[in-house]
Amino acid sequence: MRLLIIEDEPGIAGFLKDGLEEEYFAVDIAYDGKSGLDLALTNEYDLLIVDWMIPALSGIEVCRQVRKAGSLVPILFLTAKDTLEDVVFGLDAGANDYIKKPFEFEELLARIRVQLRAKNKADDSLSAGSLSINPATHQVFAGLNEITLTPKEFALLEYLIRNKDRVCTRSRIIEHVWDIHFDSDTSVIDVYITFLRRKLEAAGCGNLIQTIRGVGYIVRQPSMV
Amino acid sequence: MSLRNRIALYYTVATAFLILLVFTAIYFTVDRVVYKHFDDKLSKEVSETLSYANMTAHDFKGFSQFLESDINDNHNEDTQDDQDEGKHSHNDKKEKKADVDPEFIQIVNSSGEVVIKSANLNLNTLVLEPGRRGTSYFNSHVDNSPVRQVQVSLLSRDGLTRGYLLVAVPVKSAIIVLRDLQEIFFISFPLIILTLFVLTRLIAGRSIRPIEKVIATAEKMSQTNLDQRIPLPYHHDELYRLSATMNALLDRIQDAFQREKHFTADASHELKTPIAVVKGTLEVLVRRPRDRDHYESKIQFCLKELSRMAHMIDQLLMLARYESSKIKPHIQTVALPQHIDDLVERMLPSALAKGISIAAHHTENARIAADPGMLDMMFENILSNAIKYSPSGSSIAIVAECTATAVVCSISDQGIGIPEEKRSAVFERFYRVDESRNSNTGGLGLGLSIVKKLADLQQIKVSVTSATNSGTTFTLTCPHAGESCVMAEPN
Repeated sequence: MRLLIIEDEPGIAGFLKDGLEEEYFAVDIAYDGKSGLDLALTNEYDLLIVDWMIPALSGIEVCRQVRKAGSLVPILFLTAKDTLEDVVFGLDAGANDYIKKPFEFEELLARIRVQLRAKNKADDSLSAGSLSINPATHQVFAGLNEITLTPKEFALLEYLIRNKDRVCTRSRIIEHVWDIHFDSDTSVIDVYITFLRRKLEAAGCGNLIQTIRGVGYIVRQPSMV
Repeated sequence: MSLRNRIALYYTVATAFLILLVFTAIYFTVDRVVYKHFDDKLSKEVSETLSYANMTAHDFKGFSQFLESDINDNHNEDTQDDQDEGKHSHNDKKEKKADVDPEFIQIVNSSGEVVIKSANLNLNTLVLEPGRRGTSYFNSHVDNSPVRQVQVSLLSRDGLTRGYLLVAVPVKSAIIVLRDLQEIFFISFPLIILTLFVLTRLIAGRSIRPIEKVIATAEKMSQTNLDQRIPLPYHHDELYRLSATMNALLDRIQDAFQREKHFTADASHELKTPIAVVKGTLEVLVRRPRDRDHYESKIQFCLKELSRMAHMIDQLLMLARYESSKIKPHIQTVALPQHIDDLVERMLPSALAKGISIAAHHTENARIAADPGMLDMMFENILSNAIKYSPSGSSIAIVAECTATAVVCSISDQGIGIPEEKRSAVFERFYRVDESRNSNTGGLGLGLSIVKKLADLQQIKVSVTSATNSGTTFTLTCPHAGESCVMAEPN
């Protein structure tokens, strides 16, 4: 899952990036509204974290522009403005949620998970066949057996399962699992897919990830026969 | 009671009093004029009667003869009119008068018995009031109709009252006129008062209607719609001034409110950001075990943030203390050049660390009236700002000069400058020319507002001139310390 943080305060942007990367997110940072908006419109993010008071273009304006461009990406407002009017104004501008500074990092994580939660699902758990993953704890289970994955492997598997029954192109996988500093050599995907397949095979969930030649990969819900 | 009713009431009461006064004066004047007229007539009649009888009030002799003829005359006049004119040709004048107004004449002796009376009295007699002496006029009645009567004491040679001459004229028509006048007054007075009250109330209501508008607008006003204003009336009168004054007051309130709101938002942002940074950094730090170097670098980072915050809280508190005006400056004579030298010595290390040189020029021994502690803080803030926003290799100049009225001290840097549109705002709390508000420069936007506040307390004028990218000059105009500048030895 790839996030964009638009935040002018280096201290906050710094710990957010550190903490979120530890949670297997790919994180990009923009220090002002203008470059943040450019990034948000040119890349495909799974979630935006936007500060209100940022130079060049306010968070509100970034929010409006993103919505105007037709994007439905979840936007989390992160700001020191805390009056009721401000909260309402921010949410009305198109934000999905609003977190007041100072905030608990765990709360932020939980709120991010809520925004990433698939529609019509009661909890965050994701599954395909006998394989289930928990994004909150980063655990993967094949039946009752836990599979240990590296953060990148986990992120890759999470992205594929979130988009199960849909073809994930190589470029989209790169966009959503790796951050902007990654050079677009997509062969790294094949390496991680190989690792993943090997671990899943060992746990008895082989053949979950299928290759669509020349396009990308897909996880199919096995038919319950 | 509403203002409108009160105006109407006061006005009506005042007018009622005046009208009453005027009515009373008119009534009594008419009354007096009328009775004076009758009295003149009576006195003339008395003197004519007496002279005709060829006697005086002091000689009663021969009077009865006169009375007989005279009263018969009168009787003839009344009954036979002008046909018998030749018969009493002895007094034409008297007859003419008798034609117009019949008068009653009666003579009473000292014991009160009627000696003789004019025939027109018929069975009636004129009332004698024995207590009256000499000649006196009074109102009386004959046969129930009002008369004005004169009573003259008739004296004998030895001064004893021998009888009285009573002459009366009917005054019925005059009394009717007076009564009519009175009636008119009594009826018209309440009518006038009532009409006046209604009219005044109407006019007062009309003239205070703009006030109602002011009230209505003011009532609708709250902190959420402070941008409303009272509509100005058409006429440039007192109400126009009231409305304009209220609008100006509202402008100031709105301005202060906006500033306060802005300040609160800024302060909350500035205070919460370092807390959020420290809190978040530490939260992420303890989520999993890390190596020693990582811990140390994060703790150092947090300490830096905390000290930045402590500094800001200090400055905020200082500003709050100065703004509550509880602190009074201890004004004393300060030798400005000495002061500047000390300051430069203190600030030079941080300037040199950035590769900036500081030069002080003060050829005159300027003494000013100021609080040395406050002066220190002002200079320090301005100078640290100059160092912060100047490029490496540039220089900062401090110049102190004497003018006829003040000591002018300027601090010029060659830094990034302040754009013209933002120059007036630099003294506002939390204002930073660089809008990003981030901590890269370490500024808080409080330093210059402290400078301004301290300057105001010490009656020092602060102004700023600047050109983008070629530097900023802060000029302090300080009051003399009593004595004029003394030329100092050139260094």
